[in-house]
Amino acid sequence: MDLENQKRVKEYAEQFGPENIVVLLGAAEGEAAGLAAETVTAGDPTFAGPLAGVSLGLKVYHICEPEIKAEIDEAVYDEQISMMEMVLDVDDIVNEMTAIREQYCKY
Amino acid sequence: MNGNAVVKGTSYVLVHAPDFVINNGTTQTVERIVNPDSDYLKSIHSSIRSYEEVLAYPPNQVYLGNLTPKDLEDYEFPWYDKEVADAKRFGKYGELIPEDEFIALMQICDAFDLLALEENFVSKAKEKLSKHPLINETMLSKLKDGQSLEAIKEYIDEYKAEPLYFNREIVGYVKRAHEIDDTLSAHVLLENLAYKASGVLALLHLINNSGIDREAIDYVIDCSEEACGDMNQRGGGNFAKAQAEVAGFVNATGSDTRSFCAGPAHAIIEASALVKSGAYENVVVFAGGTVAKLGMNGKDHVKKNIPILEDVMGGFAVLISKNDGVNPEINLDIIGRHNIGTGSSPQAVISSLVTDPLDRAGLKITDIDKFAAEMQNPDITKPAGAGDVPEANYKMIAALGVKRGDLERTDILNFVKNHGMKGWAPTQGHIPSGAPYIGFAREDILEGRIKKAMIIGKGSLFLGRMTNLFDGVSFVLQENSRESITEDTTRVIVKETIEPLIGIVAEDSELGKDNVLEAISLAENKGYRAVLIEGDEAHRKMDDMLRKKEIDAAVTMHYSFPIGVSTVGRVITPGRGKEMFIATTTGTSSTDRVEGMVKNAIYGIIAAKASGVKEPTIGIANIDGARQAEKALRELEQKGYDIKFAESARQEGGIVMRGNDLLAGSADVMVMDSLTGNLMMKLFSAYTTGGSYESTGYGYGPGIGEGYDKIVLIVSRASGAPVIAGAIEYATQLVKHNCLKVAGDEFAKANRAGLKQILEGLKDRKPVATDEEVKPPVKEIVTVEIPGIEIMDIEDAAKALWAEGIYAETGMGCTGPVVLVSEANISKSKEILSKAGFIK
Amino acid sequence: MSILKGKNIVIIGDRDGIPAPAIEECVASAGGNIVFSSTECFV
Repeated sequence: MDLENQKRVKEYAEQFGPENIVVLLGAAEGEAAGLAAETVTAGDPTFAGPLAGVSLGLKVYHICEPEIKAEIDEAVYDEQISMMEMVLDVDDIVNEMTAIREQYCKY
Repeated sequence: MNGNAVVKGTSYVLVHAPDFVINNGTTQTVERIVNPDSDYLKSIHSSIRSYEEVLAYPPNQVYLGNLTPKDLEDYEFPWYDKEVADAKRFGKYGELIPEDEFIALMQICDAFDLLALEENFVSKAKEKLSKHPLINETMLSKLKDGQSLEAIKEYIDEYKAEPLYFNREIVGYVKRAHEIDDTLSAHVLLENLAYKASGVLALLHLINNSGIDREAIDYVIDCSEEACGDMNQRGGGNFAKAQAEVAGFVNATGSDTRSFCAGPAHAIIEASALVKSGAYENVVVFAGGTVAKLGMNGKDHVKKNIPILEDVMGGFAVLISKNDGVNPEINLDIIGRHNIGTGSSPQAVISSLVTDPLDRAGLKITDIDKFAAEMQNPDITKPAGAGDVPEANYKMIAALGVKRGDLERTDILNFVKNHGMKGWAPTQGHIPSGAPYIGFAREDILEGRIKKAMIIGKGSLFLGRMTNLFDGVSFVLQENSRESITEDTTRVIVKETIEPLIGIVAEDSELGKDNVLEAISLAENKGYRAVLIEGDEAHRKMDDMLRKKEIDAAVTMHYSFPIGVSTVGRVITPGRGKEMFIATTTGTSSTDRVEGMVKNAIYGIIAAKASGVKEPTIGIANIDGARQAEKALRELEQKGYDIKFAESARQEGGIVMRGNDLLAGSADVMVMDSLTGNLMMKLFSAYTTGGSYESTGYGYGPGIGEGYDKIVLIVSRASGAPVIAGAIEYATQLVKHNCLKVAGDEFAKANRAGLKQILEGLKDRKPVATDEEVKPPVKEIVTVEIPGIEIMDIEDAAKALWAEGIYAETGMGCTGPVVLVSEANISKSKEILSKAGFIK
Repeated sequence: MSILKGKNIVIIGDRDGIPAPAIEECVASAGGNIVFSSTECFV
């Protein structure tokens, strides 16, 4: 994850309390989604950014996961996301995200 | 009316840049600041690929045009562990320049004495660059004497200069241009000089590939993501003119167009509009490559034990010209655009770029044969988590098609396969964005494989932190409608719809005027058009009519071709009635016999291709010099010039042809010196008539030579009506197949393969004349021929006249070599030449 | 219990996946409170 984005995530977690933050991802692949999710839960796996060694354990989802889709206005989802839903490998993304949440999410 | 601009040529270049990856790519420079002891930095040296590995990397060979995007499908993914067996540095679109030659090119492009090089490095690099087919003396002369390594290192330490490396050693530096101004820091200037040099290389290849005169370019648009300026005008710009200056486009002005990765697509639409409006005729859209992005995803590559694949900078150039009725058009009626109000959702973006413009034009998604959105190489992006970008784009287009009902959901993968391509472009921002396909699209359309291609540029404006907006534009490249020419040029319309007009000058025919008229009527019966040019000054009239394009080609009984030009005859061989090109039959390709035969082979290939023979086979007549000519041609072939060698029909085979092979027509093109060729022409044309009347074949053919810009065909004074009619047919085919363009292309290809060096190597090293070089006097019109001079002495004869203040040119008259002088100087010239022993 | 409604949402979009502005529209429709939104670019 971009260094600036890591810094901002860390600041907001401090400001609002990590239990009150939800991170939503738009990554193109399961693996990339998993890496970003790992960064905001277990810490930066590349040890490059401000979240290196910082385990925030934030709640994190990909926008295409079914529990998120269920909360979004159907028409908006259709207009903004539905086409990409056909393009992305949603099953792979869901598997990666679920695995990371089960392992590292604290809230 | 449709005056759509056309894509007349393209070039694509790559720069091997391993040391820039290590020292200047931002991923690495940032890592050095935040994590100086990281494993990544320690392992980076062992993850760098050699020049040979980068050259053999399949996506790179596609970028250079040695493979097609379709060929890439034959390589199993991933590609980083695959090699192209016969990888070549030069492809039909450009080259992969090695890093040392590139660093020297950076110095050639340095106008402010900012870049210094180490003495040994610069002398070796200069030596290598001097053999580069497109780097001329003027450019080479910009290389400065090198400094000692000690002085270089001292300067770097003292003045914060940015070091330049080759093979991991310091070989020079780029210094800052201002002590305080960040925009003129050594770091920025290094990036900008590298950018400039790679763009210049793309321009040089474009000129070579398109065959256009560099002075004919009147506007240049740089469309990269780079910026140049100083602290008071950080993006002041006009990289475009800075690069075109080095490339010698003296008649061009220009400007820069920016929109992140969408820049090229915007610039091509702008260029097409400038051309269609008539403001400019020839506009070049181009870009060099970016240093900052080298190794951008290197950490992910290294982590997965993949070599760092972002180790080349890219560059490209596209020539947009006035509609020529041939090349693919940019259809300005089908422009897709992401508007400010469009929104950022992927489907809003794709709708605005793909389906909205097609809807406006009444077309379906499937009416576009190929889409080219962002042609990033998935080998690079997949390990970095960005997925297969081209495939994602194709899926998005297909998914949109499903939502609209153009496609079934089950058709998505088929659509991706049929209307898409695998990505092959380096992740150099503006480079992958649609642009890499334009070269292939032009050929696919010209050769009838597809009719329409959509080029899509997309840009991430939010990276500049000024807006969250996305950006993108698209355009359609389509088959030329050939309706381009409007009422005010009706003659050209006529030319396109009816047969070319061939002028005939036959004052000296031994068979009389009736024979010529009979020939014209024979030709007209076959649907060809010819006109007889008569009168005292028929040849002058003929030249005039050619210049004014009142005739498309000419057939005549003698003509003074310059040295370097000779004619390719065409006969019907008696064995099986097969046609054969005799290269060559009159004129002189070179004063050196073997060099002449090598050139004749190329002239023969040109004449055959321009007569519709797609892949002509070449044989060499078994005469003095044949083996040396064969050796040179084989070397040329090995260095990348495509020659199909014929096989002798005799038992021992080989490309050297015996008399039997001539009779059987074993090769499409039979190479020989022009005196032998002349003899053969007469034998093949008149063996049935006893000699006084040439009754079969197509005559002695067109004069061909590098840069020769007329189509003039020769027949003999003994050529009968059927042969003259054959010459009219031959001429018509040459016009229709655009012989001059074919010639330009072939010479460009041969030169790229090192023709000049090979020819140079052939010549015996004759001692250089001791007398000082004679300069020609002021040029004047020369009309009178002095014949009777030995071919080997012809240039010396002209120089002997120059030395006496008489302007003279050399040429080929109907009886052999001639010196041409003005009417006023004729008697004095003869006197001088006679005294010097050149004539009796 | 809803995941988004009334929560502080940090959005990390992807240029080649779903960009942040598209996710913003979705979050707004679900009643989430967007505190930060950014799109990453790998190419």
